[in-house]
Amino acid sequence: MIPDVSPESRLEKVRFYRRLLYGCLAVGIVGFLVAETLEYPLVAVTVYWGGLFGMLAVKFGTSVRLFDERDRALERRASNVTMYLVGGALIVAAPAVFVLEATGRYEAPPAVSGAIFGFSMMFLLFGAVFLVLRYRP
Amino acid sequence: MKNDIRRRREASDLSQADLAEAVGVTRQTINAIERDRYDPSIELAFKLALFFDCHIEEIFDPDVDLG
Repeated sequence: MIPDVSPESRLEKVRFYRRLLYGCLAVGIVGFLVAETLEYPLVAVTVYWGGLFGMLAVKFGTSVRLFDERDRALERRASNVTMYLVGGALIVAAPAVFVLEATGRYEAPPAVSGAIFGFSMMFLLFGAVFLVLRYRP
Repeated sequence: MKNDIRRRREASDLSQADLAEAVGVTRQTINAIERDRYDPSIELAFKLALFFDCHIEEIFDPDVDLG
């Protein structure tokens, strides 16, 4: 029997594998949150890693091209917009929080301090990676 | 960037899926190019030109000047 390799058949396969890929990720994340809420931390992590492994297995295990240059371009644009939004918020919020804390008018909760620290580290890493890419031989 | 991919594709009696398959991208990418919502990479532009047996500038109109 000759396999159906028409473009329509290939599109169906792409749809199927993309759904499978995102499904694995969704099951991993939702399963993690549910198990964590029910206080089964080991199950939560196992389900999460299972979902992630399933996603990677689908992505690298299939011979069908699931993503192309437009997907990568969209990812770059989304990353760019995200960096602008987070960077803008950080530039405005971080100094304000430090000044308010220094003057004793406001005590930032640990979550806020942690977020500022985390985002600052992310931009530091971004800068380092940018410099490496900019000046690599 | 304006292009006449749709006209050439329809003249060749091809579906977006056919063309996508031929140049190795997804059907959505061909659709986005035809609607001027995505500018393809140089590599993909060359593939499209090769597929339609013409020069890149015959397909794409960059609408740029040096001024």
